[in-house]
Amino acid sequence: MQDIEQMRWAILIGTLAMLMMAFFVIAFVLFYQKRRFAEEKKLSEIEKNHGRLLLDTALHSEENERRRIAQDLHDDIGTMLSLTKLSLNQLNKAMTDRDEKEELFMKKAQSLVEETILHVRRITRELVPTTLERFGLTEAIYEFIHKLAEGNTLSISFQPGTEELPRVGQKIELAVYRIMQELVNNAIKHANCTKIDVILEMNNQFIGLQVADNGIGFDPVTIKEQHLTGLGLLGIESRLAILHGTVQYSKSGNGGSTAKILIPIDTEILSGKPEPLHPFRRERVNI
Amino acid sequence: MLDKYLLFFTHDILANSTVIVTLLPIFIIIYRKAYVDPTFRLLLIYLIIKLVLDVMMFHFATFRINNLMLYNISVVVRYTLLSGMFLYKFENPLLKKIIIPLSIAFIIFSSWDIWISNPNIAHINEHRIVKYATTLEALLMILWTLIYFYELIRSLKIPSLLTFPFFWVCSGLLVYYSSLIFISPALNYSMRWETMFAIGYLDRVLYMFDIIIMLLFSLGTWVFSARFYARH
Repeated sequence: MQDIEQMRWAILIGTLAMLMMAFFVIAFVLFYQKRRFAEEKKLSEIEKNHGRLLLDTALHSEENERRRIAQDLHDDIGTMLSLTKLSLNQLNKAMTDRDEKEELFMKKAQSLVEETILHVRRITRELVPTTLERFGLTEAIYEFIHKLAEGNTLSISFQPGTEELPRVGQKIELAVYRIMQELVNNAIKHANCTKIDVILEMNNQFIGLQVADNGIGFDPVTIKEQHLTGLGLLGIESRLAILHGTVQYSKSGNGGSTAKILIPIDTEILSGKPEPLHPFRRERVNI
Repeated sequence: MLDKYLLFFTHDILANSTVIVTLLPIFIIIYRKAYVDPTFRLLLIYLIIKLVLDVMMFHFATFRINNLMLYNISVVVRYTLLSGMFLYKFENPLLKKIIIPLSIAFIIFSSWDIWISNPNIAHINEHRIVKYATTLEALLMILWTLIYFYELIRSLKIPSLLTFPFFWVCSGLLVYYSSLIFISPALNYSMRWETMFAIGYLDRVLYMFDIIIMLLFSLGTWVFSARFYARH
């Protein structure tokens, strides 16, 4: 009888031990899984931020390189071309008795130098949008569109949401400007369109850009799935990723495509003065 | 006849409640359409068979007929169907491969166990519970559950286990079989006409955890969403 009682106790203790183990395992799985997920989330956040930082650095370097090239063009080639033009003018004045052929060569040389100066100026301005820094997004987009419309038959319209858009900081303005440039250039190159509409809107929280065309349109999903995304579209996504912005492509009502960009505005940036974007200022180097 | 059933039911409410509680997960599986998942379909089949066997056992017990043969059958059915659920859940192909052969081996082993545990198998009143099969079943099911938990932790596919239906099913299995593993070897000696070893209050533990496993199955099925089934 005593043996049976002991056996019962043994079974009870064994069962209780097993049950404790079972509850411990369940609790362990729950907590361990939760902890690992938190760690994974943290790690992925770090990786994401690192990637964003790399992108930011790459784009920053690109802008710096553009400035450097623009500065070199302006300071070195621009100056040399101005001097060449001056020398040619002086030569023109010095050479009093010359025949018609020499006169023609002189005029041609002067005109070529003039044209080259204009080209260098245009390239410099394209490399660094000085209007953007001086007058803001609206003026810079107006200027860009005006220049494009000069050499093209297609009609490009621009509608700023308000008369005067507030300045939102160099980084955001430059990103919106470059994205607009890329989208308009893409529409001209690939969409086979006759009309492009650019709309820029802004409120306290977001800055929105819409570029619509009446061209052949495209399916962004197919392009992504078939890995046909070009550097342009990737560049847009990279710039947006840094600013936590989004892009949405859709088919326009008139048959073309529409790209809608939405970038959140950091209130701290909005309240502060935009950092000047001087085209010909070299980065300060501490030695 | 109804009086007899009622009288027997009230005679041992805890033990007989296990029959009724089985209806809860069955109802929830159907209500939540959890049967779209093959794992829960298998669970539903098991629960329906369990309910039928439990009702038959209840009927036999009411009329003082030995129902232990049905219990022995339920051990085989329980292991085969419940371990079958892991066939759809394991990610390791080797584990998937061994589940079915092990189930077949378990059926053969249980049949042999029934045979050796019942020297007088033709005599229904002499039927006894299997000696080893229940313990082996508990061991194997605990092993499968622990392996599944290990896979779950390693894969990191489920963000919240509390809303993952099969986690609750596995928790139920782990708790139930942990309660069964030490008691089951004694059942063969205690559940006889001439009791050799009375386990006393310990048989209550089995009934209690039979109810708990059904509640955990119900909880798991309740958090199941047919809409998001494909995500899991």
